[in-house]
Amino acid sequence: MSFLVEETRDNRVQIIRCPKRIDITISSDLRDILSNLIEQGKYEIVIDLTQTQYVDSSGLGAIVSRIAAARSNKGDVRIAGPRKNVKELFQLTHLNQILKMYDNVEAASLSYER
Amino acid sequence: MTKNKISRKQFHRLDPDYERPLYQLPNKIKARIIKKLRFLYGEQGAEIWFPELERIMSVYYAHKTEHMIAWEKTYKAAERFSEKDAILITYGDLIRGKREKPLELMVDLCKTYLKDAFNVLHILPFFPYSSDRGFAVLDFKEVDPQLGTWEDILNLKDDFQLMFDGVFNHVSSKSRWFQEFLNQNPDYIDFFTVFSTKEGISPDHLKLITRPRTSEVLTQFKTLYGPRLVWTTFSQDQIDLNYKNPRVLLKMVEILLTYVRRGADIIRLDAVTYLWEELGTSCAHLDQSHVIIKLFRDILDAVAPHVALITETNVMHKDNIRYFGNGRDEAQMVYNFALPPLVLHAFQTANTTTLTQWAKNLGINSDTTTYFNFLDSHDGIGVTAARGILPDEEIEMMALRVLEHGGYISYKDNGDGTMSPYEFNITWYSAINREDAKEENDAEAVIEQKHTRSINRTTLSKKYLLSALDDPDSNIYQVASGLIRLIRKRIKEKSFHPNAAQRVLSITEKVFAVLRTSRDNSECILAVTNVSNARQELAIDLKQCEIEFDNCIDILTNKTFTAKEGKLRLILAPYDIVWLKGNV
Repeated sequence: MSFLVEETRDNRVQIIRCPKRIDITISSDLRDILSNLIEQGKYEIVIDLTQTQYVDSSGLGAIVSRIAAARSNKGDVRIAGPRKNVKELFQLTHLNQILKMYDNVEAASLSYER
Repeated sequence: MTKNKISRKQFHRLDPDYERPLYQLPNKIKARIIKKLRFLYGEQGAEIWFPELERIMSVYYAHKTEHMIAWEKTYKAAERFSEKDAILITYGDLIRGKREKPLELMVDLCKTYLKDAFNVLHILPFFPYSSDRGFAVLDFKEVDPQLGTWEDILNLKDDFQLMFDGVFNHVSSKSRWFQEFLNQNPDYIDFFTVFSTKEGISPDHLKLITRPRTSEVLTQFKTLYGPRLVWTTFSQDQIDLNYKNPRVLLKMVEILLTYVRRGADIIRLDAVTYLWEELGTSCAHLDQSHVIIKLFRDILDAVAPHVALITETNVMHKDNIRYFGNGRDEAQMVYNFALPPLVLHAFQTANTTTLTQWAKNLGINSDTTTYFNFLDSHDGIGVTAARGILPDEEIEMMALRVLEHGGYISYKDNGDGTMSPYEFNITWYSAINREDAKEENDAEAVIEQKHTRSINRTTLSKKYLLSALDDPDSNIYQVASGLIRLIRKRIKEKSFHPNAAQRVLSITEKVFAVLRTSRDNSECILAVTNVSNARQELAIDLKQCEIEFDNCIDILTNKTFTAKEGKLRLILAPYDIVWLKGNV
C-alpha cells in the first residue's frame, strides 16, 4: 500500500493517507505528492498517520519537505492520528514544536476552518 | 598571527626548571589581578587566594624555555592576527582508520592537504568525555586515549598553531570531581551550585534565568547524605562549576596554563556566558563572568601573551561583542554568531539588505581584537545573535526552510511557557543548496543518538575521505577544493588583514559588496557576491561608492576590468563571486 490523496467535500483540504511504513523506499513519493499539491496551489494539507506504525528519518524529512512553501502561502501541513512511537519521534526531533497534531483526520481538517 | 622562524613546539619543557629565579609578576598586572579577585571574593578572599594564583603562574613560568622567553621579547600584540589566519575546526576523531589512531591520521591528513591553506587547527575537545561529543569532560588534563596522546597533539605544532577548548563552564557528571561531590567529600562540596529543595529557587527567580535549553535548570542526584539538586545549564550530564568557590577558579587557571604548556595558541572559552550564577538575575553574561575572562586575560598577558582567548557566546549580538571588553582587556576574538544566520537569510531570500545593514555597523574597538568569522560549526547555526536584527517571523520562516532542506531545529525555553528557535541543526551545505540537492545531513544519527546536533557530527573513514578528495564529482572534493582555492588567494592579500579598513556597500539587494583597503593604503579589494540564482548586471558608480580605482583585476579569474565614464560594469553569474583588486 502506498499514499492516497483525498480532498474534503468542500475541496479545500487535501488529505494524504499514509501506509504502515514511511521509509527510504517510499519517502520520495510523499515528497512528490506534497510538491505537486503545492504547485497546484493546494496549501491546506493533512497527513493522515492513523495507519502508520513506523517512520524513519527520510520519512520525517518528507513530511516537512514543503512546510515553508505551505505556510508562506497561508496554508500548512498538519498531522492526524500519530501513534505513540511516531509522536515520540516528533518529540525527539523537536518537530512537535512546529507541526500541529490532531487526534484524527476530521479534527485536523476542521482546524483549517478556524 | 606573527610570522616567526622559531618553532612553537619548543616553547615549553616537559619538566619545570626550578633552578631558574622565580617568576616576578609585574606590579601593574599584579594590581589588576588583585582588583579582580577583590571584586569576585572580597578583600579577605583576594588576600587569601592571590598567593596561590601567583604560585600557579610561577609553576607555569618554570616550564617556559629560554627559546620562548627570547621570542616573547619580539612579540607584538597588534600583529597577533593577520590575513594569513584561517582556522580549521574539526573533531579529533573525524577520520577513522583501520590501524592508526584518529589524531595520527589527522596529523598526516592536515600536513598533506591543508598546510598551505590553514595555519591554525581547532581540534574540538579531545579529552575523555561522557556525552555531547566531548563537551562533558571527564578529565581536563588528559587526551582521550581513543584519539591519541599529547605527543600527537604536539606533533601538529610543526606546521600549525593550535586552538584548544576550555570547557570551563561545566564538567561531566561522571567526572572524578562530581563523583567526589556525590561522595560528599568536603573538598568538592562547594564545587557545584547545589540546592536541597526545588524551593531554593523561587518561581520569580526561575523565570528570570536565561535558558539555552528546554531542560530543567536543576537536576536531582543521589549523594551520600541524601538527594541534592544541582545546577545544570546544558544537560543532566553537564554540571555547572561554581565559580563562587575560589578553589574552582584556581583549578581552572591551572588547567588554562596546562593547555598553554601543551601547545595551545588560542583557547576557546566554551559557554562562558553562564560561568556565574546569581539568583535574581538572568544568570547570563553577568559582570562576574566578564571579570573571570578578564582575569584569564591578565594571567595570559603576564606569562604567555601570544595566547589569545576566544569567547563562544551564542547570545544577542550586542551582548556578544561585550566580550571584547575595552579591546585590550578581555577576549581577543569573539565568535561572530550573527554572521551565519544573516548570511543564510541572504541566500534563502536572495536579499542582502539586512546583512548589508548589519555589516555596515560592525566595528572593532582595537588593533589587537578581531571577529572569529564562521558560517557553520559543530553545533549548527545559532540564531539568538540574529534576534533584534531579523524580525521573529523571518527567523520562524528560516526555520521552516531549514526543515525543508532536511535539517532540524533546537529550541530554548523563553521562561514564559513558550519556546523559540535557538539553533538550526543542519550542514551548511544542505542549508544553502537547493532542497533537491544530495543531502549531506546525517539524519539517521539524530534518531540513533537522540540528539539533533548529531546531524552535523558525522565521522568519515580514511578510505572514503581519500577517495572523495580524488573524485572531482564528489561534494567533498568540490567543497574542499573551492574553499582551499579561495583561502589560498585570501592569505596573500594584505587588504584582507583584520586591521585593514572595511566599508560595506549597498549596490543592489541581490549582491553583498565589501571594500577592503590595506593598512598602508596602497591596495584595495572590492569583493562582490551574488546571493541570487539569477544573473546580475551591475554598473557600480565608483565616485558614489568612493572607490579610488579605475582598473582592477578579479584575483579569482585574473580577468581585468576598466571603468568607463566612472562606472564599473560587472556581469555576475548566479551565486558568482568576484574579488576585484586595484591600486589606490
